[in-house]
Amino acid sequence: MIELDGLTKQYRSRVAVDDLTVTVEPGRVTGFLGPNGSGKTTTMRCVLGLTRPTAGTAHVLGRPYRELARPMRRVGALIDPRARHPGRTAHAHLLALAQSNALPRHRVDDVIEMVGLESVAHDRVRGFSLGMGQRLGIAAALLGDPDVLLLDEPVNGLDPEGIRWVRELLRDLADEGRTVLVSSHLMSEMEDTADHLVVLGRGRLLADLPMDELLGAHAAVRVRSPQAPLLAAALQRAGATVRLQGDGSLRVDGLDTADVGDVAFEIGVRVHELSRVTASLEAAYLALTGDDVEYRAAVP
Amino acid sequence: MSRGVPFGALLRSEWTKLRSVRSTWWCTCLYLLTVGGSGWLAAASTDSSARAAIAVQTALTGFGIGQLVLVVLGVLAVTTEFASGSVLVSLTAVPRRTRLLVAKTVVVTAWCLLLSAVLAVVCALAARTLTAVPGGVQPADPEVLRILGLQVAAAGLVGVLSVALGAVLRSTAGAVGLGTALVFVLPPALALAGGAVASRVSQGLPALRVGEDAFLAVGTTWPVGMGILVAWAAATWIAGAALLERRDV
Repeated sequence: MIELDGLTKQYRSRVAVDDLTVTVEPGRVTGFLGPNGSGKTTTMRCVLGLTRPTAGTAHVLGRPYRELARPMRRVGALIDPRARHPGRTAHAHLLALAQSNALPRHRVDDVIEMVGLESVAHDRVRGFSLGMGQRLGIAAALLGDPDVLLLDEPVNGLDPEGIRWVRELLRDLADEGRTVLVSSHLMSEMEDTADHLVVLGRGRLLADLPMDELLGAHAAVRVRSPQAPLLAAALQRAGATVRLQGDGSLRVDGLDTADVGDVAFEIGVRVHELSRVTASLEAAYLALTGDDVEYRAAVP
Repeated sequence: MSRGVPFGALLRSEWTKLRSVRSTWWCTCLYLLTVGGSGWLAAASTDSSARAAIAVQTALTGFGIGQLVLVVLGVLAVTTEFASGSVLVSLTAVPRRTRLLVAKTVVVTAWCLLLSAVLAVVCALAARTLTAVPGGVQPADPEVLRILGLQVAAAGLVGVLSVALGAVLRSTAGAVGLGTALVFVLPPALALAGGAVASRVSQGLPALRVGEDAFLAVGTTWPVGMGILVAWAAATWIAGAALLERRDV
């Protein structure tokens, strides 16, 4: 369990995290979403005691991270896949970490096998790709078999097989009752991984809700009829927002499928298709963060 | 709640970090070659000496330059963590930062002491075999032992100072530069500049050779020289620990 209470981090002129109050529950994968620069990494650093908050508190398992006696047994973290000495081997990197928390030596080989780096375990990490660095970082996070996992953009740079592996790993860890907080700016990733979402924009909390709810909130009804103009007019009278889609179907916001069916029946138009479309997470996310993107490319 | 990690575990971890990078071994080889080599050369080119202490002192000349390698070794042990970002992982694993710095300092200093002790023996042997001294260089000669002990202790303190500089500045170039200036460039430069003030300042800097034979700097008595070196190492280390605790990474 991770509890943030009024967490605020201010750099000279910029507020990176603004009065964030969130509880990350165990037993589910919590997706931590937000555009670049929205404060995800800063929040995670504050949780891990790497960055001192300007105000507010971050507690892990009921206490500040710095007070954990053997932190790696309780919390595993991946903050930066490049955070490693380039001249050290993967094995030595993990061994030094295991020793620092008095973890049994065999855990090093266990996690190397778990992330599939056996063949390069004794190579210097200088030549590791971003994906291999991610695997090494995940191995380090898993070393102490922790109750809480914080992973910052863990699938960045992974190949499709690796992405699926991380997804299944997170699922399994959450099913074992652990707390899993995983950040990403790739919404499509979260759609298949997370049960719950915490969305940030410019350091502020935009949403803290179950995945289904976010998708449901942005759901619409798709209806196709040979008498579309008639139906559209009737739906608008019933209070819906209706848009004609490129394929000739209507997208109806503001009414559910039953209402749309009833309206069609009342005015006697034929309906060839009637379905509920859940918004992609991408669309839901853009709707949510539209005004809160820190860095936006200029549109010429 | 389980008890904290035993300090020995931290020492093992820091030793793994130190031994698993090449720079440590480059520095070690360079240190052994420079100090051992110049010790033998100095002893070989000194045919005779009035006292055993002087013969040994001469053979230890190489420490003057050689300890610069220890500055690099100690600084790198800290600054490469910041340069590579691995400090994020280290401080996540060991959030008690001062404890981490203590462990690192102990390991680096122990390594400096071990290497320097071996070299001190090698240099003393060189003096004993190559320099003619009335009565010979006796291993139990208290003056000889004091000189060797001081040299080894000074090398250990240079290790502490270098780790501390790394923690204060976090940058390899900055810390090696400042370390070199403090122990190697400024003391002789100020000594050469002459004048009472410059001499005083030169004496107050942590020069590499402690005692009367001050390797180009202005000499002091050994207790004063040792006191100055201890003070520099301790003050810098405390500053390094305080900054490490306070600053974000």
